[in-house]
Amino acid sequence: MLRIPFERYRLDNGLRVILSREPRAPVVAVNLWYGVGSRDERPGRTGFAHLFEHMMFQGSAHVPETAHFALIEKAGGSLNGSTWLDRTNYFETLPAHYLDLALWLESDRMGWLLPAMTQAKLDNQRDVVKNERRWRVDNQPYGDWDERLQAMMYPPEHPYHHSVIGSMEDLDAASLEDVEQFFRTYYAPNNAVLTLCGDFEIAHALERVRYWFGEIPPGPPVPPIPGVTEVPPFLGEHVRAVVEQDISLPRVYIGFRIPPYGTPGYYPAAVTAHVLAWGKASLLYRRLVRELRVAQDVAAYAFPFVVGAAMLVIWATARPGVTADALEAALDRELAGLRDVDAADVERAIHLIEVRHLSDLQRVDERADLLSMFTMLFDDPDRINTELDRVRAVTPQAVREFAEARIIEENRATLQYVPRDGRRGS
Amino acid sequence: MSVPDRTQPPEPGPIRPFAFPRLERRQLANGFNVIAARAGDLPLVTALLVVDAGAAADPAGKAGLANLTALALETGTRTRSAGEIAWAFERLGVEFEVETTWDASSFEITVPAGRLEPALELFAEVVRSPAFPEREVARLRDEQLAHILQRRKEPRALASDMAARFIFAPEVPYARPLIGTTASVETLTRDDVEAFYRARYVPNASSLILVGAVDIDEAERLARLYFGDWPRGVAPRTDFDVVRAVHETTIFVVDRPGSVQSEIRIGDVGVERHHPDYFPLLVMNTILGGAFTSRLNLSLRERHGFTYGARSGFAFRRKPGPFIVQVAVATDVTARAVEEALKEIRLLRDMGATEEETAAARDYLAGILPLELQTTEQIAARIADIVVFDLPDTYFQDYRARLATVTADDVLRVARTHLRSDRLAIVVVGDAEQITEPLRTLGVGPVEVHRVE
Repeated sequence: MLRIPFERYRLDNGLRVILSREPRAPVVAVNLWYGVGSRDERPGRTGFAHLFEHMMFQGSAHVPETAHFALIEKAGGSLNGSTWLDRTNYFETLPAHYLDLALWLESDRMGWLLPAMTQAKLDNQRDVVKNERRWRVDNQPYGDWDERLQAMMYPPEHPYHHSVIGSMEDLDAASLEDVEQFFRTYYAPNNAVLTLCGDFEIAHALERVRYWFGEIPPGPPVPPIPGVTEVPPFLGEHVRAVVEQDISLPRVYIGFRIPPYGTPGYYPAAVTAHVLAWGKASLLYRRLVRELRVAQDVAAYAFPFVVGAAMLVIWATARPGVTADALEAALDRELAGLRDVDAADVERAIHLIEVRHLSDLQRVDERADLLSMFTMLFDDPDRINTELDRVRAVTPQAVREFAEARIIEENRATLQYVPRDGRRGS
Repeated sequence: MSVPDRTQPPEPGPIRPFAFPRLERRQLANGFNVIAARAGDLPLVTALLVVDAGAAADPAGKAGLANLTALALETGTRTRSAGEIAWAFERLGVEFEVETTWDASSFEITVPAGRLEPALELFAEVVRSPAFPEREVARLRDEQLAHILQRRKEPRALASDMAARFIFAPEVPYARPLIGTTASVETLTRDDVEAFYRARYVPNASSLILVGAVDIDEAERLARLYFGDWPRGVAPRTDFDVVRAVHETTIFVVDRPGSVQSEIRIGDVGVERHHPDYFPLLVMNTILGGAFTSRLNLSLRERHGFTYGARSGFAFRRKPGPFIVQVAVATDVTARAVEEALKEIRLLRDMGATEEETAAARDYLAGILPLELQTTEQIAARIADIVVFDLPDTYFQDYRARLATVTADDVLRVARTHLRSDRLAIVVVGDAEQITEPLRTLGVGPVEVHRVE
């Protein structure tokens, strides 16, 4: 039975604090989740939550430009931030005796970011982010698949319709006023979770958290997510697209709407993803890669989104000589087989999830991030210990019922990538 | 409660001790090495088998064979098919992971301690009695060929492959991709795989590393049980000379029409893992391009906004691997980015670094060591370095003390010795029509334009 210890607190300004002691190594992970992501962007400002994340590393009232990275690295720590649909996180792992340094840096930018913001910094980071988009998306084979699939899976008024990285035009339009407004709206202690995991005494750490964060005033109530957050549980039709790209092998992505992360309906979808494509005994690997030899690789993932509907995405890359249509037909046959999946397939998937979860929990930074996540999304940090029970409770019958209800034509988006030189049909 | 003084970074508290887990070793009569290290607070064990069968040992004309052999082990034994092996591992929750580097092939599982014995029994069967079924080997070979095809369209992989090709003379193994070329992989047969396996997979050139909830006595017992009767063989040696391909700085444009970015690699022959300048080079590279706040990233990203990130690194192998600066930049600033990167290289070589920069780089490298040793997999990987490069067992105990001796004078000395600007291979994968003329105008050396067939 898993027993990751933690204590939870709430400061007067609304900051939720999770302290998890793990003294095995002299390191501490400091992790902050802000309840804001690309879902909160307004029309014409796609990509802004992520651009803002970059600005958070450009110094604050008492921290000079570039000092944030320099001070942590000089202390022998590693750090980064990331933006996702439902949240933005900031994290550093560093030698335990530098805990105060991390708290000083994080509290300064939570409380006093704006005095350090300049047009020159914004212009520079805009160029950096546009290059990030070129690197991840525009110059990369299949690089725009998530952007395309999200647009197919969610209607234009839904906050998941657009990608985290956003469009070049919207990045160009971002202004210093946007930075100020976004900060005042979303970056406040009452919209954040701070988790510390590692080598410290609980009482001392709590005292230091109060010391650095206690005087930051709360912000106004966080506005509701813009747009229409409810979507029907099913897409309603089979949405299709074919993209020609400069690639050597065709690839097929298939998406299905599934219940949001954290709801009981999500877990059969997560187990199904592992049944399908995790490991060499998975359904798709053994059939499409090893036996039929139509696929070069296969993958499946239940994206853990929380607003309205999440998505299960399955993808496969064709072997040379195999068309996208032939690959898709082979995928279809295996997906149909899910309706009478064997108990052994489900048991295998659950065992793999269990061991991977345990293995991930070896890292204090991973523990901290999970504790922040479960607190922010579900107000329940103990899910770090109990989440596996939800996975273990998924029965073969639940997977079959999930497949019958959700893996259907009327709930499906298919995105094919084909080499630019042609040859699509069989 | 007092009001915080936010005007200065807070002072650190007292440093807390860190120790690399203690290694214990045993050797079986057949020369098989067993190493154990107790680590972690979760009931997990990582088992990592390292075999002296890396890609540098590929026979002439058979590039990609080491990689194919390692992948083929799990596709059949005398008693089990590929599907049965996968089932047997995965119903225990275990993934069998395979990796081939230039110097070794390795096989790894991470398993709940209570299932270690059955998992290791299967692991040993896979490693010791592979059947190499014809049909499975052919499938894996075709997948390897398809990967080679994919790498031609993937700009980062293409740039790295082309850099290796232009840094090293054609007869050096490092000049070609580790997974081989279309021409070499097309010739690989099941018999090649079996012959390579017989020559290279012997207990006296293999080490089993167990890390986690396990001790050396248990490790030895399991090793005896499953590897004790593996017959000793002749441990072959791999030897070759590393020869450079370019003798004056040359720009190789690799045309990728329509690219919105250029993938730049600035490369040279580096040094071997055992080079006496190893620690000063780590510090010097951290200053140049080994961390976020290194000079290349601060210049190309934070000052100029040309890129999402720039970095540099030495690939330390048994023989001198490449030194490479890598950065992807917007197409219209390609030549300026090359110019700025070369400027940083020259500046460090000519002027060295300040004491302050040197101290920051030393402290960074010393500090991140424990962060990178949190998991049984990470610790096992470091022990594998000890095995592959024949380092002392106390190596990581002494690591921080050795870093601490590096001075700014050392940084200047190794920059002058190892950073050259007069014989670099500069590879730029991008839209030749847009970038070739500006690169010529730079005047750093001849410019050749290549097309990928």
